[in-house]
Amino acid sequence: MKQLSRRDFLKVSGILAAGAGLSRFYADAFAAGLEKLSKGLPRIVWLQGQSCSGCSVSLMNADNPYVLEVVTELVSLVFHQTLSAATGHVAMKVVDDMAAGNEPFILVVEGSIPSTMPEACIIGGRPFSEILLPLLRKAQFVVGAGTCATYGGIPAAEGNPTGAISVMEFMRKNGLSPEQRLVNCPSCPIHPDSMVGTLAYLAGRGYPGVNKELLTPDMFFAHSTHDDCPRFHYYSKHLFAEKFGDSEGCLFKLGCLGMLSYTDCPRRQWNGGVNWCIRASAPCIGCSHPQFGKSKAFPFYRKGEQQHAVGYEEAQRKGGAS
Amino acid sequence: MEKSIAVSPLTRIEGHLAIHTETESMTSGEGKTAYRIKEARCEGEMFRGFEKILEGRDPLDAQQITQRICGVCSIEHGIASCRAQEMAYGIKIKGNGRLLQNLMLAAEYAHSHLLHFYHLSAVDFVDITAIVSYTGKDRALLSIKSWAEAALARAKAGTEAFPAAPFLPRYEGDYYIKDVDTNCALIAHYAEALDIRRVAHEMCAVFGARLPHSTALVPGGVTQRPTEERYLTYLSRLKHVQRFVEQVYLPDIVTAAQAFPQYWDVGGGYGNMLSYGVFENDDSGRTLFSPGALIGGKFEPLDVKAISEDVGHSRFASGSGLHPSQGKTLPEPRKANAYSWLKAPRYRGLPMEVGPLARVLVDYHSPNSVVKEEVDALLKVLGLPVGKLNSVLGRILARAVELRIILRQTFRWLDEVEMNANPTQDFAIPKSASGYGLTEAARGALGHWLTIDNYRIAQYQCVVPTTWNCSPRDDKGQPGPVEKALEGVVVADPEQPMEAARVVRSFDPCLACAVH
Repeated sequence: MKQLSRRDFLKVSGILAAGAGLSRFYADAFAAGLEKLSKGLPRIVWLQGQSCSGCSVSLMNADNPYVLEVVTELVSLVFHQTLSAATGHVAMKVVDDMAAGNEPFILVVEGSIPSTMPEACIIGGRPFSEILLPLLRKAQFVVGAGTCATYGGIPAAEGNPTGAISVMEFMRKNGLSPEQRLVNCPSCPIHPDSMVGTLAYLAGRGYPGVNKELLTPDMFFAHSTHDDCPRFHYYSKHLFAEKFGDSEGCLFKLGCLGMLSYTDCPRRQWNGGVNWCIRASAPCIGCSHPQFGKSKAFPFYRKGEQQHAVGYEEAQRKGGAS
Repeated sequence: MEKSIAVSPLTRIEGHLAIHTETESMTSGEGKTAYRIKEARCEGEMFRGFEKILEGRDPLDAQQITQRICGVCSIEHGIASCRAQEMAYGIKIKGNGRLLQNLMLAAEYAHSHLLHFYHLSAVDFVDITAIVSYTGKDRALLSIKSWAEAALARAKAGTEAFPAAPFLPRYEGDYYIKDVDTNCALIAHYAEALDIRRVAHEMCAVFGARLPHSTALVPGGVTQRPTEERYLTYLSRLKHVQRFVEQVYLPDIVTAAQAFPQYWDVGGGYGNMLSYGVFENDDSGRTLFSPGALIGGKFEPLDVKAISEDVGHSRFASGSGLHPSQGKTLPEPRKANAYSWLKAPRYRGLPMEVGPLARVLVDYHSPNSVVKEEVDALLKVLGLPVGKLNSVLGRILARAVELRIILRQTFRWLDEVEMNANPTQDFAIPKSASGYGLTEAARGALGHWLTIDNYRIAQYQCVVPTTWNCSPRDDKGQPGPVEKALEGVVVADPEQPMEAARVVRSFDPCLACAVH
């Protein structure tokens, strides 16, 4: 196969790391990761539970490196329900062989798990939880891709009928320790850079530095969105946008949740850097937050009758009840 | 002899779907045993309960929450929700808001249709292994060739259990195009289409903030103010995508059609078509593609009151046969005789196909058709009557036909945008109100119904394209459109029911949408 030089890797990794404003250390780590990836082609099994496939589409939006390079030069995407040629029993055999075999692999989970209604996610005639559990036991590392897998997300919002839970809750319920094995990459959908970057790091360096409670990798989720916001200067001058479409002013009074969010959106942006929420005058809706969308009493926007409860504090970021 | 044949799960679609069929054996033209499908069941195998999750929430949450129904068609759900809210708030989409949402929707169609053809569907026709016989000098293809050779060598050495994933394993047999050059050209376009689809999402994000799940979409328009810089960022990408659609996408479909002409006669189904119309062309709300229904080949104007949803064979305890404005969602996972998480939407009691083919055919038969000239010209080249469009290949062709027409209009919408002006309009949320929003997702007719009480969502119902297409039997026992389209399909190898899979994939099912 095409052998990439160390320089190529550094270039790719430099882009990944530089986008996030990360230190040279991370660029080197990525380079080591990507290089190992291409030699050993670590296997990825990507499962979808109660998902919308938005994180898979986001993976296809990857451009650091592009998705074709990801699946031909960096990883072996052994199974992915949307992309695999394998269908029907051919597909199930791949998944079962991985669960039964002793080949090392990284398991990526997109979507939540219906804990009180197993019928709410069936693959190949079997409940998703029964397919997931043996793979979770075998996987070298597990990546929770997106907010549903990470924190339950919208399927786990207040009033949901299926008892949807995150991968971390599912692991704990089944006596599996998520520490040093599970990496949570929230945001709805996942950012392609955090997906590809996390896979590269896991394969190259091993388990990354993470937030101890949330298991989110520090290299992508340690910075406050608000502190890095390009509209921070408006906030400090108390200049606020009043209505949707106002192109100037801090978006806080429209409901912006940047203060409670820890992402590198301000520096990395989205979709190849053409835009991102705040740049488009769209309030951050906190899609990477453990409580994203969960409470009926906590709307995304402040408008007219719909004022936010103000007592939504930093402490609640730690996964506490809303 | 009778035999049950299943595709479970059916991959390379969005979401969780299983197909179960009952077949009878027959002797094929070559004297071999084959199996003809007598009846089929579409089983939607996932459920999250979005309509329950929406109850009691702020109405403005809806265009964000409902986008999460589906990450492939997020914009369409957002727009349907905006329309429903706009009706409830007493405003009407107009001016910049209308144009900018059109620009986003057009880009979302490009993303969806290219994804469907190249990355989901073509894999059933193209022989990926032909790459190892490639003798040309194209660098992209040579790179894929060396990757495939290395993977196959590792497999031979016993160090790679699943070489060339995700393209292998697959159904093996006489299913694929034989000509090496044709296969290699299509493989190159698979790779190129990965880039073009990504660029289409960038187009959408120019005004939508980011994709999937646009945060900029709000009732009345978007939050992103249009500027000259935004205009150029969108325009450059539009040209890039359009060139591919005109010069590569449509010709590739003709190539596939010529290799598999039998699929002009397979997978037709009921032939009844429904379209809500889409792309508001002016502030009066007139749409580029006409709304309407095609029943027994006859066009009729759309009657929103004629829509209902049965749940007799669906895993719900809620009432059956209700109009969505009255609909409820009460799950009953172990309900007897139920086999799917999809409800069964019906129009005047009839199962209806929705999607690009329905959009094109409804418009074709409507007064002032925008597609007729284009469709007739294409059919003339192909030497086919319009009736042949009701088929697997007809559905695939309809996507390219409509995308060409949409992208040409997109230049006009872009030019009509008033630069540096308000991208939306203000509104107040009333204490109680109701509304509905109809649009067309890339995959077909999409409706959201909303009731507001005491400033909160009291009721929310979504009737989604794949809910129509992949619906289970209704209370009268009528199979859904995909179930019907599978009847009569002949499967050569019961262990590898490729022929059935192709029929289902021609509908571009989106199950996360359908079950929501």
